[in-house]
Amino acid sequence: MLSWLPGFEGFITFEANTVSALELGLIFGVMALGVYLTFRILDFPDLTVDGSFTTGGAVAGILIVHGVNPWVATLLALVAGLAAGTITGLLHTVGKINPLLAGILTQIALYSINLRIMGKANLPMLREVTIFDPMRNLGLLGTWASVLVLAVVAALFTALIVWLLGTNFGLALRATGDNEPMARSQGVATNRMKVIGLALSNGLVAVCGATMAQYQGFADIGMGIGLIVAGLASVILGQALLGRRSVVIAATAVVVGSVVYRAVLQAALSLEIPVINFKFEANDMKLISAVLVILALLLPRWTPIRRMRSRRREKREEQAQAALRAEEEGRLSRAGAH
Amino acid sequence: MLELTDISKVFFPHTVNERRALDGVSVRLASGDFATVIGSNGAGKSTLLNVVAGRYTPEKGTVAIDDHDVTAMAEHRRAAMVSRVFQDPMAGTAPHLTIEENLAIAYQRGRSHGLGRGITRAKREFFRTELTTLELGLENRLGAKVGMLSGGQRQALSLLMATFVEPRVLLLDEHTAALDPTRSALISRLTAEAVERHRLTTLMVTHNMQQALDLGNRLLVMHEGNIVLEVDAAAKQAMTADQLLDQFRRATGGEVSDRTLLTE
Repeated sequence: MLSWLPGFEGFITFEANTVSALELGLIFGVMALGVYLTFRILDFPDLTVDGSFTTGGAVAGILIVHGVNPWVATLLALVAGLAAGTITGLLHTVGKINPLLAGILTQIALYSINLRIMGKANLPMLREVTIFDPMRNLGLLGTWASVLVLAVVAALFTALIVWLLGTNFGLALRATGDNEPMARSQGVATNRMKVIGLALSNGLVAVCGATMAQYQGFADIGMGIGLIVAGLASVILGQALLGRRSVVIAATAVVVGSVVYRAVLQAALSLEIPVINFKFEANDMKLISAVLVILALLLPRWTPIRRMRSRRREKREEQAQAALRAEEEGRLSRAGAH
Repeated sequence: MLELTDISKVFFPHTVNERRALDGVSVRLASGDFATVIGSNGAGKSTLLNVVAGRYTPEKGTVAIDDHDVTAMAEHRRAAMVSRVFQDPMAGTAPHLTIEENLAIAYQRGRSHGLGRGITRAKREFFRTELTTLELGLENRLGAKVGMLSGGQRQALSLLMATFVEPRVLLLDEHTAALDPTRSALISRLTAEAVERHRLTTLMVTHNMQQALDLGNRLLVMHEGNIVLEVDAAAKQAMTADQLLDQFRRATGGEVSDRTLLTE
């Protein structure tokens, strides 16, 4: 918008980069919500994600190439994701296979299945009709308007998850992840909960894969590699920033985390160290994202930060606890008098 | 009504570690019966409760609740009829869920987990009223995470969760053992009140002789996987803890668990 002014080319690239980082962050926010369901709610680190993301892209891609309506294609990608999650869930619950291993097994099996679906390793869909066409035709893609649209979509998915977690089903799901023996003793079919939770999670991930394939104009066999790290980074970063006092805050934090994560990657990419002529390349992204997750996991445990945080929390909790204890002591002394 | 017929449970069968935890136990609790169970370590008390709850399936024998044979019924299905409070105060509640969310899960015990709201205004009012009976002030902290509560408060909440949707059978597994004496007395009192209020058929394991005498209308002594002595309501009322210990020694051949308490 300021391109006519000399010297503002830098600003233009910065703005374009920001917009694309936001767009990506919001699209991947849906996947991060899926990872939140398994990693935080079910306490099940599900590695199926790397495979089911690509499955979503592959299913949507091949259908779109064959002229299927892109919305229908995205919906069928959801179904494929649900199926992938169900398989991991059954491997774990019926097969009693360790969670990490169950996820990895499905993930590696999906690699072959994804290749079968696409027929080749890369499936371009550049001139096909996609769900982004309405925005593209209006020239909105890559502008703040598309960021707004994607933000609304991400907010809708977040609201859906928050609603779901507030139902009887959602409470049962959360109890299953929080204290499984308790959930079972309260009549929750914990195995069924795990299977459904994993299915939903991978359904979201596959929808995200389908969306991403349409956004970038191709599906690729490698598009899902390392995505579990991106998902975990979003969950951990976002919840480190906003906390998880309630389901609303925790779920919102996940999407915010996804945007922050993309912004950090974008910033790293534009980083230049002139003296040694060093610049990150796109291929360094996996390394950067792994380091980012490690930092997000370790920094909160670093003593100075821990001290700062605990001081803040202590103050809050002390007040609550003091009030609580005073109350309980009062009741107990009365109970003793009984 | 709870009827156990000739229950046997063997752990690690056909190995050197084979252990017969229950050896042909038969017992019948009429509706509203409250039986306390004492016994030495490894007598099979907890195993017995786990068999009733459905966590363990017995090798032999049947479990019937209200004349329905539930021996093969899965634990989460049986939860519609059976509820329990564990010894560990952390075991019966979900720490990252709030007080009302935990209660909502217990409220749904025996019903389907559909897409209806977990917490409605009506349910919240009901929870508030029920929490008031605990006299712990928890009714004012419905939105607090359960992990923030003390062990005694969590155990009181577990007890409420196990009783307010009336189960056919209530199982208490040394549920006051991990608490300090004051809180233990509080939970004992709340237990007696809840069982009385809902007229629950109850099976309570305890290592506290005095508690075994104070609570309930029947007393069972277990030893080496079987019930070796039964004390009825009248005899129980007249008995002191010393006399019970004496009887216990005679019935079990002198073995007394080092955790067994004569008094509080």
